[in-house]
Amino acid sequence: MERLLAILEDIQPDVDYKTCTSLIKDHILDSLSILSLVAEIEDEFDITVPAVEIVPDNFNSADAIWTMILRLEEN
Amino acid sequence: MSSYFSIEYLALFLPAVLILYNLMPQRYRWLLLLFASYLFFWLISGVLILYLLTATLTTYIIALHIGRLQQQRNMLLQQVDRPERKAIRISYQKKQQKFITAGVLILLGMLIVLKYSGFIGINIQSLLNVLHLPLTLQIPSFVLPIGISFYTLQALSYLFDVYREKIQAEWNLGRLALYLAFFLTIIEGPICRYSDLSFQLYEGKKISWNQFLFGMQRIVYGLMKKIVIADRLNLFIKTIFHDYNSYDGGMIALGALLYTCQLYMEFSGTMDVIIGSGEMFALKIEENFRQPFFSKTISEFWQRWHISLGLWFKDYIFYPLSMSKPLKKLTAWARKKVGNHYGPLASGAIALFCVWLANGFWHGSGWNYIFFGLYHFTLILGGSLIEPVTSRIVSFLRINKESAPYQFFQIIRTSVFVVIGELFFRAKGLKAGIHMFITICTNFSWTSLSNSIFSIGMDRQDFIVVIIGILIVFMISVVKERGLSFRALISGQPVMLRWSLYYMFILFIVIFGAYGVGYIPVDPIYANF
Repeated sequence: MERLLAILEDIQPDVDYKTCTSLIKDHILDSLSILSLVAEIEDEFDITVPAVEIVPDNFNSADAIWTMILRLEEN
Repeated sequence: MSSYFSIEYLALFLPAVLILYNLMPQRYRWLLLLFASYLFFWLISGVLILYLLTATLTTYIIALHIGRLQQQRNMLLQQVDRPERKAIRISYQKKQQKFITAGVLILLGMLIVLKYSGFIGINIQSLLNVLHLPLTLQIPSFVLPIGISFYTLQALSYLFDVYREKIQAEWNLGRLALYLAFFLTIIEGPICRYSDLSFQLYEGKKISWNQFLFGMQRIVYGLMKKIVIADRLNLFIKTIFHDYNSYDGGMIALGALLYTCQLYMEFSGTMDVIIGSGEMFALKIEENFRQPFFSKTISEFWQRWHISLGLWFKDYIFYPLSMSKPLKKLTAWARKKVGNHYGPLASGAIALFCVWLANGFWHGSGWNYIFFGLYHFTLILGGSLIEPVTSRIVSFLRINKESAPYQFFQIIRTSVFVVIGELFFRAKGLKAGIHMFITICTNFSWTSLSNSIFSIGMDRQDFIVVIIGILIVFMISVVKERGLSFRALISGQPVMLRWSLYYMFILFIVIFGAYGVGYIPVDPIYANF
């Protein structure tokens, strides 16, 4: 989780990722940030994020992103 | 039956289906909706219903094949050890890809042949003429079945969702046929997803009095937008765009502004009738507009205008393209070279270009539509490119981004860009659009505007009625923008006041609606796409 928070902080600083649950809804992460984020987490966690996973529910909070990463690691 | 605003639909078709729907046992209601949808299509497009049937059968068969492959793969995966699973997945992935490719080619092929063969033929002929080749092409011309652009996108989304295992392939052909042909969404959308709509259609939920009343209110609101505002503006707009050579920049700018207004009122008014009709059947049809003229950027505008189309392009073109292996590599490489902001912009721009090219083509087979798409691509990409610079300028000038004046400036700026885009969208071809835009820039005059404004089909009273109509829509939009429900606010009022308001509103439409002799209602604009 700490590695994910570091990536998020690097992509879009000054956001309280531990509490924010509306990263997509409030346009904190836009389409281009998502592209950066996916490229980074794929590198960092050695997973492949398919396009079908790019839905607001998977990216609205750091927790949701982490859950998605764990799920994809299992696959 | 020509549109959702026709007497045939509002006074005959809708009430008849609604009464029969209520009389039917719940489990057979979906069959009535299916019959009504095919009847609706037949009444508008007649024998062209064969195209819809072909698209439905193709989608059904291909999705079933993909679903069967997924089942076989899952069974095999349970029987083997982990190291062998990857090979099985890849092998079945390839088999599924063949089917999905065939499905996309057939569905898109039908759309391209019917909708674009004329445009492609004319352009090839022009190219041959330019090259002085003595060849004459027989340019085909087809009559389009109503809603082909909408049901094709719905069929594709269903196939992609089955392929991505987001939903299971539907074995009940009738259920899939209803989703693709549903009479409320087939002509102008919204482009619904199978997972959102199909279950509701099949469920045949009981209708409540409140839903019925809310549905009626929404329909009446849509009627107001259409017949008080959009239809009243029609004569003025038609004249300006037809005889654009006769007018100066002021009049053309007003024409473009009023056309933007007309398009919004016509399209969002249709959505009000569709969503309101849906409410009467206890169906929740997704909103297609969210106060677009409160947008502060073009990007935000497209998240609020024709939402279902934007989401379709995002889910099935933008992300799949930008998340493809080559573009992912490009993002990772560029991010290391040029940082967080510009890094993903390279692959984002490629995907965005494809989205907006598709958006332009989807709207119509003409260069002005392609220009319309690429115009928005340029604005959105340009906005992203200069964003760090504008942020620095704003902070250097110590402008508070959250302040009302700055936000007002952003809203006006966005609206001006939108109006320019709509000018090209409505123009009779790209050449006419360029000519009109140049006239606005080089020959703008306030005096001719004040002299001729009331001489083109709309007098002073017409403008006053339109302005009152727009103010009503604006007030309701402000309430919605603040997260409140206007209908809930009204329903909380005492019964006398509530019904007085309803009657006043209906009287307003009856008295000031543009119908009868001397008025030609505007055709359903989006039905042609």
